[in-house]
Amino acid sequence: MRTGRIGLVAPVALLALVAGCAYLPDPPPPVPSSVVPSAAPVPTAASDDSQLSPDGFDAAQRMAVRIRNIGCGALSTGSGFALDAHTLVTNRHVVADSAELQLSTYDGRDVAAEAASTAALADLAVVRTVDELPTAPVLADADPQVGDPVTVVGYPSGRQLTVTDGRVVAAVTDPLHVNLGQVLVTDAPVEPGSSGSAALDAEGRVIGVVYAKNADDMSFVVPVSTLRAMLDDDTAFAPAPTCG
Amino acid sequence: MTGPNGPSPDPGQHREDPPVSSPTAPLPTGWAGPAAPHTGPAPDPTEPGPPARRSSRATVVLALVLVGVLIASGVLGWRLWTTTRAWEESAAGWEQLARTHGEDLAQAQAELEATVGELDATRVQLDTAQARITALADEKAQLGDTTAAQQQLADYQQRVSQAAGQVATALANCIDGQERLIGYLQDTAAYDAADLARFRSDVERVCGAATDANASLQSELSR
Repeated sequence: MRTGRIGLVAPVALLALVAGCAYLPDPPPPVPSSVVPSAAPVPTAASDDSQLSPDGFDAAQRMAVRIRNIGCGALSTGSGFALDAHTLVTNRHVVADSAELQLSTYDGRDVAAEAASTAALADLAVVRTVDELPTAPVLADADPQVGDPVTVVGYPSGRQLTVTDGRVVAAVTDPLHVNLGQVLVTDAPVEPGSSGSAALDAEGRVIGVVYAKNADDMSFVVPVSTLRAMLDDDTAFAPAPTCG
Repeated sequence: MTGPNGPSPDPGQHREDPPVSSPTAPLPTGWAGPAAPHTGPAPDPTEPGPPARRSSRATVVLALVLVGVLIASGVLGWRLWTTTRAWEESAAGWEQLARTHGEDLAQAQAELEATVGELDATRVQLDTAQARITALADEKAQLGDTTAAQQQLADYQQRVSQAAGQVATALANCIDGQERLIGYLQDTAAYDAADLARFRSDVERVCGAATDANASLQSELSR
């Protein structure tokens, strides 16, 4: 009886031992020489939000153009911005009655002007250039809403290139009666000489062209919708009047 | 119904009663003699062996089981030992790898900090350079404005000088003509009246040109 019990327990014990061996973890795999991934992950920072340029200036500064209007016995300055490699946009009154237009970029490089054209229905003008302009912005698809941020890049008083910020305060009928439709009112500081400056939204897209200011330091902007309408109309621009 | 305690015969199998003497009972001294007297019928070969044979068989089985257990234990121990060694070596390898990467990480972090410091310094330099470029561009623009203004002033002065010269010349011609006309008028009998009238007209035209030149000069001066 006891022998039979032992004979029964012994195989079970052996089976349990063998099973225990079977449940032991397998030997570890060989240790690799390196666990550094072959393809390093691309850092998420500094990809889209940084607007790197060859010289550290951002796109808003690189597209700005200073305009010197040498008239017949008069000299004035204004601002403009590149529309493409050989075209810039400014105000009609900036290039009007000129004998010669002299252009310079944010870094002081001179750009030869070829011809200027002015719009009859808005205080807008386009100037064709012989030399290539550094960079051109993107025009916004629609006008900004009241309260939207706005950045103005230009040469106030004909001095250093300046970037000022503000917000769209209102959309009103042009008090100067030089533009059809409504114009934008912003609280971004501008000065004489800022005329023709690009007004940009938070994404750096052009939302308008500065053309005036009032005594309350409010700046007036030709909206991008008007600019687009003028640019799309082949008959909107005519050669600018000169004094020469 | 309850009977006395003790083994009871297997109801399913008939067995012969065991002999009176037990194999484990002490034998009498000097007993080595003949086989025990036959006290019963001869055992059936199919029946279990006597207790002594079963005991020795159990001992053999138990010994075999123990040997098997020892062998299995040895195998298991060997496997445990080799597996443990392998994991120890693996752990040591991973630790070495971790230390290597830790050193690399520490070095990379140190280099990163140094690079970030250099980047900050470079940014400061870049900001300074940008400000300088902007200032130089402004200086150049102001010089251009000044040059353009001076050129306009020079042009203006040239126009004024030219106008003044024209005024002076016209006035001189006018004065000369008027003086000559006065001389002719003092001796009108010596000259043809028609010629005098034509000369008077010429003098008036010259003086009118002088007046126009003077008006132009005044216009330039008023600009």
